[in-house]
Amino acid sequence: MTGDVNALASGGCHIFSGCGFPAPGLQDFEWKPFFTIGSVGFTKPMLLAILAALVVIVFFWVAFRSPKLVPRGMQNIGEVAILGVRDQILRPSLGRKGDSYLPFLVSLFFFIYIMNVMELIPILQFPVTSRIGFVWPMVFIVYFVYLYLGVKNQGAWGYLKNMIPPGVPAPIYVILVPVELLRFFVFQPFTLGVRLFGNMFAGHLLLTIFTIATWYLLSLSVGLIYAAGSFALAIFVFLLETLVTLLQAFIFTTLTATYIASSLEASH
Amino acid sequence: MSGKDNGAGPRFAAKREAAAESRAQGLDIGWTVSGYLVSGMLAYGLIGWLIGRAVHVSLLLPVGMLVGLAISIGFIIYRYGVQGAAAQPKSQRTSTKGDDR
Repeated sequence: MTGDVNALASGGCHIFSGCGFPAPGLQDFEWKPFFTIGSVGFTKPMLLAILAALVVIVFFWVAFRSPKLVPRGMQNIGEVAILGVRDQILRPSLGRKGDSYLPFLVSLFFFIYIMNVMELIPILQFPVTSRIGFVWPMVFIVYFVYLYLGVKNQGAWGYLKNMIPPGVPAPIYVILVPVELLRFFVFQPFTLGVRLFGNMFAGHLLLTIFTIATWYLLSLSVGLIYAAGSFALAIFVFLLETLVTLLQAFIFTTLTATYIASSLEASH
Repeated sequence: MSGKDNGAGPRFAAKREAAAESRAQGLDIGWTVSGYLVSGMLAYGLIGWLIGRAVHVSLLLPVGMLVGLAISIGFIIYRYGVQGAAAQPKSQRTSTKGDDR
């Protein structure tokens, strides 16, 4: 990680020692590359993203390589995971007719979740999705599927026309076009990506602040009380993040499912 | 896949399904509404700014934003108020009698 944090950990930088608080910031999201290929540096977030993809692939491969009618072991867990996504994310938006999109949504949900939850795993302890560069490709894939299915099922003109509900008088229709276009092509993909990124970024920053503060405040003085308070908050934020990591993956996938639903048929 | 119902019974399953459905719908509507509010302001703010630049009236930017906001609010009321109410079953519109929540 950064020089600040390393200096803090190794140098005994504590309150009342004349050392200022090494506040975490954007520098804690920058990583020195392990190696470079041309001008591209291979960093820790890249490694974690690959690891997350491998975890998802290997888990489901192991769970379903020889499925039994009565599930046992890993197949049990795999089925619970798939049924959870199906019943809580896919079916509420798409109904039974959307079951063919289950592999896509399951992959998306678990890939995002594993990338998020890496924040809470010792040694890894970095949420890949707190780097927005990892979020935009997922938004792009979701939007590509969304537009492709919309055009395929409703036709290009029909799809654009159906963005505005029927029964709206013609002059209002014209007035609504710029609003709808901006919402559809800018606001919606932007919020889809930034919501995930922002939550994970803020969560990681909070966790870093309270963890560093606990170490910084630790001293045989009144600082010990502050350190205890900071430690309690670090634990609280950690618990909160266990929920947020899951929630953000859930929201991203649920919105993807609702987008697909609106592509399959006019939602109005 | 076993496809079992966890032994919880069809009534519980139906309730859980309805809750999940309303959660997904709420999430979608919530973000769509906020999308309309922001997009309306941005779209008509941009139009106002462009016209204002052409005619050298800087006031057209805030005016455009307010017009956009008004259009968005009006459309939200129409889409989720008027159309939403019309799409609801009559029994749900008039009374909540017999609602066992």
